[in-house]
Amino acid sequence: MKPVVEVSHLRKRFRLPLDKSSTLKYRMTHWRSSSRYRDLIALRDISFDIPTGQFLGIAGPNGCGKSTLLKILCRIYKADSGYARVNGEFSAFLELGVGFNPELTARDNIFLGGAMLGLTRAQLRDKVDEVFAFAELEEFAEQKLKNFSSGMQVRLAFSVAILAETDLLVMDEVLAVGDASFQEKCFDTFSRYKREGKTIVLVSHDLNSLEEYCDRVLLLNQGEIIADGPAAEVTAAYHRMVAEHALAVERDLPSKLERGDPSQWGSRAVEFVSASLIDGQGQTTRRFDTGGPITLDMQMLVHRDVGDFVCGMAIRRADGLLLAGTNTFLDHVTVSSHSPGATVSIRYTVDSLPLLAGGYIVQVSAHDVTGSEIYDHADPAASFHVNNMGGHVGMLEMHGRWQVEQEQDVPTGAFRQTAG
Amino acid sequence: MTVVAQGSGTLGAIQRPRSVFQRNLNLVRELSITSFKLKYTGSALGYVWSLVKPLMLFGIMYLVFSILLKAGTGAYDFPVQLLVAIVAWTFFTEATATAMNAVAGNGDLIRKAYFPRWILVAASTTSALLTFAINTVLVVIVTFALGHLELSWVSLLAPLYYLELIVLVLGLSMLLSALFVFFRDLGHIWEIVSLVLFYGSAIVFPFELIQTHSIKLADLAGLNPIAQIITDLRHVLVAPDKIPSMAALIGPLAYIPIAISIGVFILGFIVFHKLTPRFAEAL
Repeated sequence: MKPVVEVSHLRKRFRLPLDKSSTLKYRMTHWRSSSRYRDLIALRDISFDIPTGQFLGIAGPNGCGKSTLLKILCRIYKADSGYARVNGEFSAFLELGVGFNPELTARDNIFLGGAMLGLTRAQLRDKVDEVFAFAELEEFAEQKLKNFSSGMQVRLAFSVAILAETDLLVMDEVLAVGDASFQEKCFDTFSRYKREGKTIVLVSHDLNSLEEYCDRVLLLNQGEIIADGPAAEVTAAYHRMVAEHALAVERDLPSKLERGDPSQWGSRAVEFVSASLIDGQGQTTRRFDTGGPITLDMQMLVHRDVGDFVCGMAIRRADGLLLAGTNTFLDHVTVSSHSPGATVSIRYTVDSLPLLAGGYIVQVSAHDVTGSEIYDHADPAASFHVNNMGGHVGMLEMHGRWQVEQEQDVPTGAFRQTAG
Repeated sequence: MTVVAQGSGTLGAIQRPRSVFQRNLNLVRELSITSFKLKYTGSALGYVWSLVKPLMLFGIMYLVFSILLKAGTGAYDFPVQLLVAIVAWTFFTEATATAMNAVAGNGDLIRKAYFPRWILVAASTTSALLTFAINTVLVVIVTFALGHLELSWVSLLAPLYYLELIVLVLGLSMLLSALFVFFRDLGHIWEIVSLVLFYGSAIVFPFELIQTHSIKLADLAGLNPIAQIITDLRHVLVAPDKIPSMAALIGPLAYIPIAISIGVFILGFIVFHKLTPRFAEAL
């Protein structure tokens, strides 16, 4: 029997323009610079088959190529080479409720969403009541979707999404939504599909649910399949990979940005000359304490008169998870420079660092106010380590408070109140 | 014993229609009905607005060109000619203007769902066509009842000219919607082109006016499909024996605008087809 999905030597590369050139004026004035691209290889050489009836999970860190793979499978993107073939009917929900319109009633949205799946109005008409019953939304049939809570919208969207009979079901991160009882229902549906011998591809960050439901998991990293096998094994490999990666990154990272660093890209109308981290005593360091001050000092050189521009920073974990970020525009701070050759010095200070022990990476960027031209982007621009103290677990210091109330006659010593 | 209200536990799936064409047609229908509905929900007069707009344009143009500038003097029943032209023109501009955004404005759909992309253009044209069809039927019935249309056997050609208009609009819509994804200046350029076409297509004056000015210019202006469609619609609908057709005005050259309409459709189709794979990444 033919496998439901055949993927063979799939490659995909994105060319990211350094500045968006979608106006004619830009094309005409910058026609020579059309080669300013940055290549991003999303999929290197992916091959795999999915036999009928398999429940396949796909996992991997952010930017590993999961979504690109799924989009090629669903014919949204075109592969550069190789092919992805689906033998049979399939439904794809890269997001629930795609095509829904908030201005329409729930009933009309069922017809619209159903049509997106290939179902006709006549077929849906007999089914509408059943959909509302399943979504537990019987009383809201004639309400406009915009008046629904997000949980209600998700329930409706999921109920519509499973309406079409398919050989293959493709889902991207759809489990992260909905309340617990409805999630239960979603998983019941998956279990039923599994019993019925349907093939399912599930992409998720949630390794626990992958482990619970999938027969097989593919682990993607930097556009390659690095593990393929039973869920438990691959999940273990994933945990190992994250840990190793974090260690390696921490070891190899430069403590601060050096000019001409390969991690930098952009049109360089404004260029980061340095980015360094400073502690409460004004010393450049890589070691900080939770709750203490931290200042990011950025020195920039202006090459072209750009007027007002935006300078931003973000902190991420070694595996790519973005923790926090902001920019001058969001914080209503004006940064401008009018004379080429001038230097701009910008500091961003956090009085009380909310991060707990671990290694972190700082990225910086400068772009125009509309965000269409990136002047300079450096990632990693700097890295730092937060010292282990206090024993709180996780990544964030919550600055929480405990409150304990006790009857006076309870013997003392049972609990003591502590302030966070 | 109390019964706790609970939703049903399972939801059976429906078999899709086997014919892909039927599915696509159904999606076009749903999308165009939706945008037609959304256009008029929330406003008190709703659909009436899409009739008021061409009527207002007609009123102004009639006042300025026919009464003040006497552009239609000598032409047979020019007000009715003007009305027929304005209703067709309104369809042309509204359809092409909304089509411009049919792909670019649906980035979310394109990035997250698969369906043939031409459906978006077909739906946008269909929704403009719905308004146009109702307006045309209303105008034809009212003017006919008032004794202003001299319908005859030739009038049966009218649907063909309307078809030519739709083919032209579809071609332009595919072209504009695909190119607009990559060149956002096109929106402004098209506004200017529309303005030129409005005055260049003999809408607010009879086509013969160009001919009395210069035969050569008339031969050139007659190659414009909109001028040809409007002149021929006036010919077949308003008074076949009193208003000349484009063929009577510029001779065999009158085949060229028809060829252009079909050519634009083919060009639009090819360009749209070529650019389709790049939509999802560009949006």
